[in-house]
Amino acid sequence: MAVVSALPAVTASSRARRLLPRLGALCFLAGIGYLVIAPLVGLQRLAFEDGARGYASAYDRPEMAKTLGTTVGLALGSLAIALVLGTLLAWAATRLPPRLRLLRALPILPIVVPAVAAVTGWAFLFSPRPGYLNALLRTLPWWNHLDEGPVDIYSLPWIVVITGFGLTAFVYLFVSSGFANINSELIEAAQVSGSSAVGVFFRITLPLLRPTLVYGGFVALLLGLGQFTGPLLLGRTAGINVLTTDMYVAVSQSPIDYGRAAAIGSPLLLFGIAVVVFQKVILGDHSRFVTHGGKAFRTPGRPSRLAVAGIVLYSLVALALPLGALTIVSLSPFWSGSIDVGAFTLGNFRQVFTESGITDAIVNSLTISVISVAIALPVGFVAATMLLKGRRFPVIRAAVDFIVAMPLGIPAVVFGAGFLLTYSREPFMLYGTREVIVLVYVTLMLPFTTRMQLSGMVALGDAYQEASRTSGAGPVRTTTEIMLPLLRPTIAGAAALMFVLLTHEFTASLLVRSPTTQVMGTILFDYWGNGSYPLVAAIALIMTLVTATGVVAAVSVAGSDIFDKL
Amino acid sequence: MSHVRIEGLTKRFAGKPPTVAVDDLSLEIESGEFVVLLGPSGCGKTTTLRSLAGLETPDEGTISLGGQTVLDVRAKVNQPPNKRRIGMVFQSYALWPHMTVRRNIGYPLRARRAGREQSREWIEETARLVDCASLLDRYPAQLSGGQQQRVALARGIVARPDLVLFDEPLSNLDARLRDQVRAHLHELHGRLNFTAVFVTHDQSEALALGDRLAIMKAGRIEQLDTPQRVFDEPATEYVAGFIGMSNRLTLRRQGDGWAAGTQPVTGDLAVPRAHTEVTIRLRPDDLQLAQSEPHLPAGNASLSAQVVDAQFGGRHMDVVVSVAGTHLQAKVPLAANAWVRHLTPGQHVTAFFAERAAIYFGAGDERIAGHPTAAVGA
Repeated sequence: MAVVSALPAVTASSRARRLLPRLGALCFLAGIGYLVIAPLVGLQRLAFEDGARGYASAYDRPEMAKTLGTTVGLALGSLAIALVLGTLLAWAATRLPPRLRLLRALPILPIVVPAVAAVTGWAFLFSPRPGYLNALLRTLPWWNHLDEGPVDIYSLPWIVVITGFGLTAFVYLFVSSGFANINSELIEAAQVSGSSAVGVFFRITLPLLRPTLVYGGFVALLLGLGQFTGPLLLGRTAGINVLTTDMYVAVSQSPIDYGRAAAIGSPLLLFGIAVVVFQKVILGDHSRFVTHGGKAFRTPGRPSRLAVAGIVLYSLVALALPLGALTIVSLSPFWSGSIDVGAFTLGNFRQVFTESGITDAIVNSLTISVISVAIALPVGFVAATMLLKGRRFPVIRAAVDFIVAMPLGIPAVVFGAGFLLTYSREPFMLYGTREVIVLVYVTLMLPFTTRMQLSGMVALGDAYQEASRTSGAGPVRTTTEIMLPLLRPTIAGAAALMFVLLTHEFTASLLVRSPTTQVMGTILFDYWGNGSYPLVAAIALIMTLVTATGVVAAVSVAGSDIFDKL
Repeated sequence: MSHVRIEGLTKRFAGKPPTVAVDDLSLEIESGEFVVLLGPSGCGKTTTLRSLAGLETPDEGTISLGGQTVLDVRAKVNQPPNKRRIGMVFQSYALWPHMTVRRNIGYPLRARRAGREQSREWIEETARLVDCASLLDRYPAQLSGGQQQRVALARGIVARPDLVLFDEPLSNLDARLRDQVRAHLHELHGRLNFTAVFVTHDQSEALALGDRLAIMKAGRIEQLDTPQRVFDEPATEYVAGFIGMSNRLTLRRQGDGWAAGTQPVTGDLAVPRAHTEVTIRLRPDDLQLAQSEPHLPAGNASLSAQVVDAQFGGRHMDVVVSVAGTHLQAKVPLAANAWVRHLTPGQHVTAFFAERAAIYFGAGDERIAGHPTAAVGA
């Protein structure tokens, strides 16, 4: 009888227990939903105001067709370069001799160099007149009649090449992890069944890699369409415009026209959403739950010297050349085509550390990045937990899944413009504050913090948590005593990686910064505009150093496969 | 009132097609009883266990543990695992790698806020019980599989739970170690007398450990009985097959006797005349071979058979023979039948069995004739 009379009380408390998580999940969804969606909606509302005036002013201009063409051309051209180079490098990395296996990390290293630093480095090398390599090439007999060139970095083909180089590392990452996921016994089974090495590659390896290549290709295409740094720094002088730079112009030059900027960004927005939907719905996103047993991938071929040469050559070109140019310029009193070792000076670095604008920017970059990481980590932890455990509320879970993926699909410049608009008006007057930069950074990091922690949780499996729950521990104790300690390497790795990405950040920062609140990337851009090239080079090197420190920290706490978890 | 009471438990999994993992299952367990859920993968035994633990959300039914209702779907009661007084031993052991053995074993006590002094005492006592007292300050990664198994067991029982749940805990051990741990677990249960539900797909494990076995099929309990009765008198053909009666032969009445296909059976079977077709189930040990038509003692049935394959098994031969197209296995002791060492495929032999060793099922899967022990007992 006691059981019967106790029932109503149990029912009431258990109803509260069932409703509370749902309420919490809804609040969380509302929070990240506002963060991600509000800027995009705000932009579109402006674009459709006054009978879609924004769209009219953006697309009625004759230059628009050319801009669209340039955007697509830049994306496809750089995608082609990145796919070929990235796949070749990944293949080469599997054929390295065992004692040179460390070279595998080389093609990833260009990611460490911030895009602004790399682009300025290339400009120092291939600027038509004072570019170091151009000057060198002009000493060759068949070019010695030229006054400038032969390479013009400020032209579209070379912007495509530079962008393609930048994307190569991403494709390399995708394809390498694709290779790593192929069980070597599948390859050996084909060989034993009588296939030649070439036959194995085309009949087994390539079909198995296809999902990876398609997905990696789409991500690279998205990145190519959203490219901003290269076209902005190199293309503006020659009037080469892409959608992202057009958007930037619309919101940075008076009269500021958000409606037009939003309209310009719409194709990127739509394509980004389409890719995210495609990935979630069509691919089902099952891949992240798959763990691959068996032996790691081994190529049928023997170690190859050509592979070593290829990887070393690529790293020299993609990494050493621009960094070398930056070093030389940063040590020179001014930038000219010739190198005067005798005049080398540390004066530029001294100046960097005495100009309060620059030191403020460096401090801003570091503090804002740290704060953003500190916010993004718990948000990602909650999101990952909901994606993994949220079977009870499938709708909220699907919405979280989608929202968290959006910043990966939609270019940072669109988010930057949206944030500038949303947080420069009531109810959130945050323009010119660090807070708005923190908000943008947290938003941009949502996909990374969630995916990395999710893959860490998937790798842990359910048993550790279930063992804790059946031992009598509630959800809180299970999280603090079991999950957090076990996830520590994952969380530390995610933190370090996000720190690197954020100290790199240029695109969104450029849109939401104000003249008094700068970060490293934006202050570099300002000095680039002033023509203070030696200072630009010094700042670029410092940026690279900061991110390199972050990468070393990331790899040392999370292991060298940290980038595979993206 | 029973200690553990499951009534009308049902769990469906959405999917293509949707599956019913547990189908209106009811089970009562007495205090101190060791119940084994036995069945092939996908029969719902693990889902039942996880429902007891509170790790699944069943669609229907009630569960009470030690007089407390922990699940009542209609009244919307579903206590989380930590509100149920249970312990659980996982297939993967799930020892937390960042804690020492001492902290692993002590975790259920900390989680239930036991006193420090009492905790220390219980941890050490339990560790002694499972022979892990010397391992308390090591980390799980420094232990062998068998040691990890014992630590997991200690963690499951240390807090003296109302119910200990075992999810195939021996299946990750190699064969020799498995027998050792099994014996140890049996001894431990005899000493501590905890109430346990043990999930396995291994019939010898089930027979050795269980006070009662529940043989499960498609989310339902096919038979619930003591190991002895399940072994001797499987209620259905499915249970018979699962409990080691792997030989299956369908016979038809032919004149006065029986035949497998066109192959007549010598000797009669203890089956009422009303039946025209029976399916017999027989253990490989109970099927014997003879070189030529032997003079069989009364109560035996024989068939002519053809050898398909013979494997050496130490003291016996595992012989596969074909009877009217059906493959049967015979486990023939070598001591009395040295000739079977030299069987060749295709050779004709006589297969025979004591008719009381076989179990007979009618066309509708119903038991027809009694087993010797039952007959003797009756």
